[in-house]
Amino acid sequence: MSQDSAGAVGTRLTPHVDGLIRAAQAGDQDAFEQLVRTYDQSVLRLAMNLLRSPEDARDVYQEAFLRVYRNLHSFRFDCSFHTWLYRIVTNICLDQLRKRKVRKEEPSMVETSEGPLDRMDAFEEESAHADPERSFWNRELKQRIETALDDLTPRERMVFELRHYQGLRLRNIGEMLGTTEEAAKNCLFRATQKMRSVLGDFT
Amino acid sequence: MMCDDIAKLIPLYYYGELTPDEEDQVEEHTHECTTCSSAMEQQRTLAAALDRRVHEVPSYLLEDCRADLMAAVHGGAARAARPRPSQGPWSLFLEALAHSFGNFNQLQKPIGAVALIAIGFFGARLTMGVRTPGGTVNENSVFGAEDPYHTVRSVQPDPEHAGAVVITFDETRRRQTRGSMEDPNIQQLLVAAAHEDNAAVRVESVDILKNQVRSSEVRDALVNLLAQDPNDGVRLKAMEGLRGMANDPSVRRVLLHVVRADGNTAVKMQAIDILSANRDDAFVGLMQALVQREPNDSVRLKMEKALREANASAGIF
Repeated sequence: MSQDSAGAVGTRLTPHVDGLIRAAQAGDQDAFEQLVRTYDQSVLRLAMNLLRSPEDARDVYQEAFLRVYRNLHSFRFDCSFHTWLYRIVTNICLDQLRKRKVRKEEPSMVETSEGPLDRMDAFEEESAHADPERSFWNRELKQRIETALDDLTPRERMVFELRHYQGLRLRNIGEMLGTTEEAAKNCLFRATQKMRSVLGDFT
Repeated sequence: MMCDDIAKLIPLYYYGELTPDEEDQVEEHTHECTTCSSAMEQQRTLAAALDRRVHEVPSYLLEDCRADLMAAVHGGAARAARPRPSQGPWSLFLEALAHSFGNFNQLQKPIGAVALIAIGFFGARLTMGVRTPGGTVNENSVFGAEDPYHTVRSVQPDPEHAGAVVITFDETRRRQTRGSMEDPNIQQLLVAAAHEDNAAVRVESVDILKNQVRSSEVRDALVNLLAQDPNDGVRLKAMEGLRGMANDPSVRRVLLHVVRADGNTAVKMQAIDILSANRDDAFVGLMQALVQREPNDSVRLKMEKALREANASAGIF
C-alpha cells in the first residue's frame, strides 16, 4: 500500500511551506514555483492514476496549479495547504470522472500502446515466457480491475484512490471532499464491496 | 457484534481507520468466525491485487507540466489578487501606463535630431486618466482626456526616416505623436500594438519591437507573445527578437516551452536552433526525451543534430 507520503511531507515541511506561501502571496514567482514543486508529483500521480491518460493528467495539473496561482491570496492558513490544494485537485478530477461517466467512456484507452505505462504490463511480459496461463490470468485480472474501478461512482473512486493509493486518512479525505469522516468511511466500504463483487473470482 | 457489523468494519480495519476498541472487536470476532476471517483474507487479496495496478507517470510528463505552468504564469496568467485595470489585450498597455507613464506628457515636447515617428492614433479602447501608482492622473496624455477608445490599424517602418516607425490607429478624433523608437513611451505604444486583435498589426509591431529587446518591457512582451500568440508569424518574429537573449532565464523557459509544445514546425525548429547554440543540460535532456516521439522528420533530424553536437545519445530514452 502507498505510504502517507504527501501528508507526511506536508506536515514535516509546514514552516518551510508557510514561508513559501506567504512569499508567493506577495507576488514572488520563484516561491510559487518552489511551492508547486513541493506538491506537484503527488498531484500528477493522483491525476494519472485516476484518469489513466497523460493528456488528461496534464490538463488537471495545469488547471489545478493555475487555480492555486489565481486564488492563493484567499488561502488563510485555516487548514493545511495540502488539504487546500487537494480540494482544488479533487474537484477538477471529479469533474473529469463525471464527464467520462456521461460519455460512458470505454476503458479501451488503457490498452493503447501510446498510453500510460503500467507496471502490470511489465509484469505480464516477464511472466509470459515463464507461464502463458499465468500471463492470461494477469491480463484478465488487470482488465477486471479497471472495470471494477470504472464501475465505482466518481466519489467512491476518489475516496478509494486517496485512501488506497495516496495513503491519506479518511478524516483528511472527508475534509478535502467537503464531507464528514463518516461519509468517507461509507464511501470506502461501498467501493470495497463493489470491487470485491467484480473481482471475487480473481482475488 | 454480528457478522454484518464486522463486515462493514473489515475494510476500515485493513486501512487502519478503526479505534483501538473497534480493532479489538474485529480481531476477536474474526478469530472465532470463519466467514469473517475469510472476508478479511479476501480484503487483503483484493488490496494486494490493486497494489499491482499503478499507472506510472511517464518520465517526460512532470517536466512538461512544470514548464507549461511556469510559461503560463510568467506569460501573465491573471491573478485575482491583483485585478487588472481592464480586460483584454490592452490591459498590458494600461498596466504599463500606470507603472511608467508618470511623465507621459514628455511625449508632446518637440523632438529634434532623433528619428521621428509619426503616430496617428484613432479610436482607442484605451481609457484615459489612468491612475499612476502615486495617485496622480495623466490628464495631459497624448491621447487626450476625452478619447476613451483606440484601435491600432497598422504599424510600418517609416520609409522616409531610417529607424523610425509609423503607427496608425483609429480614434474618434485622430491625433499624432512623435518620438524616437528609443523612447520607452513609444515602445509602450508598440507593445500595445503587438497585442492588437489584428494579426497583421501584431506582426508589424513585433517586427519593429524585436530590435528593441534591451528594454525589459519589450523583452517581456516578446516572451509573452512567443508563449501565447496564436499567429505563427508573430511568434517567429518575437523569437527572432529574443535570439540574442537565450541565456536570460525567462527567454530560455519560453524557448523550451516552444520546443515542447508549439504546433508549428518552423517555430519549433528555430527554437531548437537558438537553444542548440546556447545549450545546457535542460535542453539536452529535453531533446533526449522528445527525439524518439517527434512525428515530424525535419524536427526530429534537427533534434538528432543538436544531440550529436552536444555529444549526447539520442537513444537513452
